[in-house]
Amino acid sequence: MGTAPLPAAPAGPQGGSAPSSCDRSCLNSFVDQYVDALVAHDPSRLPLTKFVKYTENGQKLELGDGFWRTASGKGAYKFYVDDTEAGQVGFEGTLQEAGHPVLIALRLKVENQKISEIETIVARGQMAEGGAANLEKLGKPRAAFLEDIPPAERVSRLELIKTANRYFSGMQKDDGKGDYSFFGDDCNRLENGMQTTNNMTPFGGTTSNGTPRPAPTAKYDPATNPTTYSAGWSCRDQFRSGLLHFVSWIRDRRYMIVDQERGIVWGFGFFDHQAGDTRNFETPDGRPVTAGPTTPFTWEIAEIFKVRHGQLHEIEAVLTQGPYGMCSGWSGYEQCRSDQPQW
Amino acid sequence: MARKGIVAAAAAGVLLLAAFARPAKPAAAAAAECDRECLNHFVDQYLDAVVAHDPSKLPLAKNVKFTEDGVRLEPGDGLWATASGLGGYKLYFDEPAAGAAGVFALIQENGTPAILQARLKIVGMKITEIETLVARKETTAFLNTDNLTAVRPAFLETVPPADRPSRAEMVAMVGKYFDGIEQGNGDIVPFDKDCIRIENGIQTCPGSPTSPLGALSCGAQLSTKIFTYIQSISPRRFPIVDAERGLVLAIVRFNHPATSQTVEVPGRGKMTMGRYSQWPNSTQIAELFKVKDRKIKEISAVIVTQPYKAPTGWE
Repeated sequence: MGTAPLPAAPAGPQGGSAPSSCDRSCLNSFVDQYVDALVAHDPSRLPLTKFVKYTENGQKLELGDGFWRTASGKGAYKFYVDDTEAGQVGFEGTLQEAGHPVLIALRLKVENQKISEIETIVARGQMAEGGAANLEKLGKPRAAFLEDIPPAERVSRLELIKTANRYFSGMQKDDGKGDYSFFGDDCNRLENGMQTTNNMTPFGGTTSNGTPRPAPTAKYDPATNPTTYSAGWSCRDQFRSGLLHFVSWIRDRRYMIVDQERGIVWGFGFFDHQAGDTRNFETPDGRPVTAGPTTPFTWEIAEIFKVRHGQLHEIEAVLTQGPYGMCSGWSGYEQCRSDQPQW
Repeated sequence: MARKGIVAAAAAGVLLLAAFARPAKPAAAAAAECDRECLNHFVDQYLDAVVAHDPSKLPLAKNVKFTEDGVRLEPGDGLWATASGLGGYKLYFDEPAAGAAGVFALIQENGTPAILQARLKIVGMKITEIETLVARKETTAFLNTDNLTAVRPAFLETVPPADRPSRAEMVAMVGKYFDGIEQGNGDIVPFDKDCIRIENGIQTCPGSPTSPLGALSCGAQLSTKIFTYIQSISPRRFPIVDAERGLVLAIVRFNHPATSQTVEVPGRGKMTMGRYSQWPNSTQIAELFKVKDRKIKEISAVIVTQPYKAPTGWE
């Protein structure tokens, strides 16, 4: 951590992995092997390094424990994000657990044709079942995600990470007064398979505050004095509203996987909801608002960004709720608490 | 089975260590720098400071360690930021010889009640450790704060000095409770025949006559195997033994791998186990036991749902 290859460094990485001998199809085959072994509840099928490390929802587990005991079937949705330079691959996919649909975000690090790191987030239950069904229906990732960036338009790894990081920085204690030009007009986000921007279909249910979830509105209109952001708004307008302020801290931002050819960045992070003073804030037009969760909690999140021309377009995330302030199992305590990007 | 063996060995190790670490005589006999009244005063100061959102009001040691729901935080964060008032319920327990103070208390959080369990360690009249669990409706499978109106008298009764078991004996008796859950065998637990257990404010044994298992005693419930989804109870700690009142605080983690959602209950057939059997998860539990006449007479627990095998922060 923190010593991974510096983006665009022309020489070999310092202290990181050796140049990868595993290309895109090789990395994807490791994912496929992993999922097969997982569903068979048999890690011995995998080529593992001696000290392979496994985490599930931020907890270090023995390989074979946790989801390895309960995964009951494969799903149809498969989204691979390859970083051949770092020898890492990310995978967002649907699976079955005891007959229920779940979502997984998986990161594998491959060294000399062996898996040395396995990091997973498994999203289950109400927060995931409907979205997993949506992704199954979708069948495959949005086409724009997988399109190659023309070679002449490709930017450095660091530039890609910087653009993705503006999303987390803009959301943290969102005040609606930032420069949100990093959002493309066509930006659209899926969170646990649910479309949470530009979505006019009511989700129903209640907000994390226990109040009925407001019906979506087509456009952000400050004149209507909204107090809750709407899934009907665009990516940019959600930030412009200043109503995401209750996301008090976005920390341990680990940009582990970068696919320069496709302009994709895969970041891990935690969204803290302090639920204290951060519930009270002003909208950009000076309106006082009290909103957001009333008890502290943290989202553990894997977020995938498509970056083109310095803007975010497609965004997709897998997230699960955890104890407030939890750490990932992959960072030191200071990094876990910090909002500074790591790569 | 291997895992159970490891757990049992670990538990035996704890007991062995406890036996060496503590004098055989009741700990309360030793002169403590901070007696029961002093320890309870620290607890009150702590609760007041939490509600005031102001850790600077407390005599904190320089390297004080604070956890909430197993996560290390800075004092001032977590419940410190959200507490909006104290409720009327406070159950204190202390081990003066260890500088250990504990409390179960009702607390308001942005106006909504929650149950707080706090453990403080006092060294040199400063707070060196703060370990908390907060049972909130969002982080527990069940919670009823309305029932916590008054502390049940058994938790306040003093045990005559001659009747006080050693620390190691108290811990061993309570350890049998966790063994009994792991093994699905209430017969090995020294339950008082009228033992009552209250978890997150709800009486869970004896059961309600209208519950699926009926009005079973605490021991009989275990023997139905309905808790088979609790594969292991590990790690286990016993940070406070209040010899004067016959109380033991255990802080443990129940591990639920969710490999099965149903169980064969003798005489009743296949039954669906609780919601903890749906997917892998753990619960972190602060459980207070009243031991009287070498029997477990009452149990009160604060339970928080956690990611599977999340650390408690103190192992």
